[in-house]
Amino acid sequence: MADRGSEGSDRRRIGVYVCHCGGNISDVVDVEAVAARAGADEDVVVAWHLQFMCSDEGQSTIEQDVRELGLDRVVVAACTPSLHETTFRRVVARAGLNPYLYQHANIREQVSWAHVHDQAAATEKAARLVEAAIAKAALLRELDEVRVDAVHRTLVVGGGVAGLRAALDLARWGMPVVLVERSNELGGHVLRLGRTYPTDEPGRALIERLVSQVRDEPLVEVRLSTEVCQVTGYVGDFHVGLRAVREETDGHPCDEEVEVGAIVVATGFRDHEPARGRYGFGHPRVVTLADYQRRLYAAEGEADPARALGIDGPVRAIAFLHCVGSRQVEGVDEPGASGRLNTYCSRVCCTATVRAAAETRRRFPAVRVVDVYRDIRTYARDQEQEYRRAGEAGVVFVRVPTDERATVEPAPREDPYPLLVRTRDTLTFGAELEVPVDLVVLATAMEPGPVEDLVAMTKAPTGADGFLLEVHPKLRPVESAIPGILLAGTARGPMDIAESTTSASAAAAKVATLLAGDQVEMEPFVARVDLSRCRGSGECVATCPYPGAVGLQDVELDEGVVVPRAYVNPVACKGCGACVAVCPNGAVDVQGWEMSQYLAMVDAITADPAGFPRAIDPSEVTTG
Amino acid sequence: MSAAAFARRIDADVLVVGAGIAGLQASLDLGDQGYRVLLVEREASIGGHMIGLSKVFPTMDCASCITTPKMSAAAHHDLVTTLTYSDVTSITRVPGGFEARIVKRPRYVNEDACTGCRLCEYACPVDVPHEFDGGLGARRAIAVPFGTAIPQKAVLDLANCILCGKCEKACPAGAIDLLQEPEAIEARARAVVLATGYRPTPTDAKREYVAGRTGNVISGLDMERLLAPNGPYGRVLRPSDGKIPERIAYVQCAGSRDETLGVPYCSRVCCMYAIKQAMLLSGALPLADITIYHMDIRTFGKGYEEFYQTARSMGINFVKAKVARITPRPDGDVDLRIEHQEEDGRVEDVRHDLVVLSVGLEPGDDVGRFAPVRTDRYGFVRSADAALDVTGTEVPGMFAAGTALAPKDIVDTVAEASAVAMRVAGYLRRSTETADELVEVARG
Amino acid sequence: MDLQAQTNARSTRILVLASLLCAYPGIDATGQAHLDYPANTYVLPTPDPVMFPESFYWHCFERGIDGILIASCGTDSPYEGSYERLAARINRVYRQMKERGLDIRRLRLTAICSVCTKAFVKEVGDLARVVEELGPVAAELARGPEPVGSESP
Repeated sequence: MADRGSEGSDRRRIGVYVCHCGGNISDVVDVEAVAARAGADEDVVVAWHLQFMCSDEGQSTIEQDVRELGLDRVVVAACTPSLHETTFRRVVARAGLNPYLYQHANIREQVSWAHVHDQAAATEKAARLVEAAIAKAALLRELDEVRVDAVHRTLVVGGGVAGLRAALDLARWGMPVVLVERSNELGGHVLRLGRTYPTDEPGRALIERLVSQVRDEPLVEVRLSTEVCQVTGYVGDFHVGLRAVREETDGHPCDEEVEVGAIVVATGFRDHEPARGRYGFGHPRVVTLADYQRRLYAAEGEADPARALGIDGPVRAIAFLHCVGSRQVEGVDEPGASGRLNTYCSRVCCTATVRAAAETRRRFPAVRVVDVYRDIRTYARDQEQEYRRAGEAGVVFVRVPTDERATVEPAPREDPYPLLVRTRDTLTFGAELEVPVDLVVLATAMEPGPVEDLVAMTKAPTGADGFLLEVHPKLRPVESAIPGILLAGTARGPMDIAESTTSASAAAAKVATLLAGDQVEMEPFVARVDLSRCRGSGECVATCPYPGAVGLQDVELDEGVVVPRAYVNPVACKGCGACVAVCPNGAVDVQGWEMSQYLAMVDAITADPAGFPRAIDPSEVTTG
Repeated sequence: MSAAAFARRIDADVLVVGAGIAGLQASLDLGDQGYRVLLVEREASIGGHMIGLSKVFPTMDCASCITTPKMSAAAHHDLVTTLTYSDVTSITRVPGGFEARIVKRPRYVNEDACTGCRLCEYACPVDVPHEFDGGLGARRAIAVPFGTAIPQKAVLDLANCILCGKCEKACPAGAIDLLQEPEAIEARARAVVLATGYRPTPTDAKREYVAGRTGNVISGLDMERLLAPNGPYGRVLRPSDGKIPERIAYVQCAGSRDETLGVPYCSRVCCMYAIKQAMLLSGALPLADITIYHMDIRTFGKGYEEFYQTARSMGINFVKAKVARITPRPDGDVDLRIEHQEEDGRVEDVRHDLVVLSVGLEPGDDVGRFAPVRTDRYGFVRSADAALDVTGTEVPGMFAAGTALAPKDIVDTVAEASAVAMRVAGYLRRSTETADELVEVARG
Repeated sequence: MDLQAQTNARSTRILVLASLLCAYPGIDATGQAHLDYPANTYVLPTPDPVMFPESFYWHCFERGIDGILIASCGTDSPYEGSYERLAARINRVYRQMKERGLDIRRLRLTAICSVCTKAFVKEVGDLARVVEELGPVAAELARGPEPVGSESP
């Protein structure tokens, strides 16, 4: 039996309260008998049964008993803990006890409601669950929320539209921000976008608008041509090394260190570069969509397509190719310069492509435009109109079968057009098409930005697609697995401008929640090492899935002998208990869910009623 | 109005209208930053549409497993006050913020006394189609809204009540109160978040599909309930006769991308939910043949394309075609007239035994009716700046999030809800001085 | 009273280790729906059943728990890789059970979601039937393993 103070003077002073729930429990369970059995326990000082424990009357009874009878633990047997455990923890705290010296027994959802037809069995089960709760209560410890002093400053990595938005939100909230940008200019990819969706505002104007707001915030310190070179510490207190971007950075030490409470990663994306020759890539008349947009919007007044687009020769026909480097299929596609096959959809290119195609037709009505796609994904509210407008403007849509690809080849010399696009079109009875064009525009994929170094420094995981990985797409979409490291914008995956700024604001919200007070506060249900039992096996470290949550450190024993011993970083620990199971010495426990407490509950559940000897003497059985 | 003199008054920093996943997440993020939130929900339970879904894409985790913790966190939050079964009737700008009038409709059950024991429900002799199950299952005229509802409090549906008094006798808490009146509540808040959500486009919007309205042509949301572990039948059966379906069809864009219906936009979630349901169905009914008739497959989110490819490899049929007509057959099966959009473009009639209309999303409420914001021609709230400030409206201090702004999935909604919390917090911090001054001015 | 008679004098007991996020609310929902399941079932909540070492299961069996249902979140677990770790551990416990002559059907690993009421009733019902068929664990433990050679292939 677990140790719960064998001498009379060491006995606990537990109060037990059994709820009738207005008949919900008491119509099935003999609550009086349950309370009586609880009262027989030597650790129990009082055991009541009341109509509604959650009522004011019930709550004040507990408060009064704690004060007047000097209770040191409280057990309530009532409905499911998800309804009222918090309520009773608060009652206990109001009475002056540590709120974690409270134990709940669920005798409504899991007894009276489930076993309506067998009242004797229900009563027996309720009594045993209450005895188990008493057994656990006796072993409960006082717990405190995990608190870490929070540095009131945030690092934003990346000065594109997402990083700017996050920095602005944080500064307006009152948070000092260090904004680090590798290049010598703020704005990222958006700077180079001609006209942005959905407002048609030129990319540079949009960025200038945002940058001027950021510049108005004295709390934002912008560091251009600067990169992160080292990250240590944990949520609330990261130490981040920064250094100036140089020609040769390898091995160069950090120039300085900043202390921050949280890090927002807004490192953006990279443009996909197709394998050379694929879709004619490398041919002077084959350009990427980003390049084409720059040309298209650079000379908005120019009516001659060749001059406007900077093409040497007539421009009579243009083909746009979707999904270049996106939605790739093994065996059909080949990886580009990144060496990775991109199975994902890049989300923004359909709308950007149909807009560019439509704009081309509007500006240069004589130019024939063919749009070669697999599925048109104009998903956001007004994007469908853009698609329709492109059709109305005379863009010819050609749908490639899902598992086939268009090809782009230089035309034979005698042909009037320099390039030939070959494809099948499922919209016209699967016809084989050969489209001669002057220019091919490739809607290239968004690929993960250059985050390898940052990933190595922070241990923030990436997904199979190479983008930084969120903890859970719905529960925690902007948080990385490392507490205090948040994800903003396309660092997490393809997004358009609005989606990037939204995710940046969401990341800022998580920082604000984390660092709202002087301390980061978390639930106390994390692992704890009992140093008197730890022998430094390191099994816990090997099994823990969370970087930095458990580790080994040198501890000096009495005779000056230094030995490794486990420690827990309560900030990084998630409290799953994977380490508990593997410790060969039983030296690790999850607070609030200790193994000795479980064993005591099992003993209470299996204890035979007075008069019956145990079915089998456990000492006779040896564990394998 | 004289009742106003007796109205309950609630002061908060932020009023959040709508307690679906957007409103819940925004409230939690604001509450966790220390702001007092008043969260008002029209339905009898918080949770919105999400709590009724089966599993959610792309992770396929059970919807209630990830909704209930948020519902319960909001319900237990010290700084979040929740009003259910309540309508916001007006929000007006006043010095220092906004004043809202709220009417809490009578449940005819005393919320403080009701323990959710359901004894009234067992005693009630009146069965009514259950809204939560899309009318496929039944509930009693007095009932706790559904198993995972928060609060777990009964609601008496007076329209269907026969006043037999059985619930009153059964209730151990004496909570039944047939004399309950609507309660007028006056709220003041410094900022407002509109999270009024969506409602599915009607299944009878399209004339060509009206003829097919039999029990075996259902909406995507109905299928969610059939697939949910706590659904009306506990398994997937076709509604008309309880037959296990063998040839299931999904009709995509049944209500979206169609100018004639006034819904020219893409509803953004239907491709993914149809694929998800098809995958769940092929697990539940391994012998069933499932076909998705579509225009374009729009699996654009993170991990979504991979999800689609998995569905293809599982043998789910994707056919690019328009469904021109839906005709019921006497035996309960349904004929679909298919206009193929690929290859030979032929027209054919295909027989299915269960048809799911992938209905789209339209605004959940006429927000302009009670709030001074501009909406677009569909009724979605207009953003102040659709690129840099999606959640802000043209009214300072008034914000919006989730499907109140435009159709979007849960993943994007949750991020947007956190984003709106940040914008509201930034606004509140900046407006503190001005607001106090304004209040002073108003008083002076 | 001999050992056999003693063990039969008490009823069997089933322990359910229920994950806090999924199975525990699922079992609550079972009660809410008033679905019956055997009353000798005792549910202990846990952040994740991955925390229990092999020795815990032996403690249970030796104290007289006749069947254990591990109601995890399955692959929905909020903790990284926990289901795989748990499954590997349970396989080790199965091996130990075989060595000591315990029927491995007494230990059942499953995933129960927060509204999976019918799945819970089925799982716990199946286990209860197995326990009824096998009788108290104490007797089986006392018998020990079958002599080598008589194992079926």
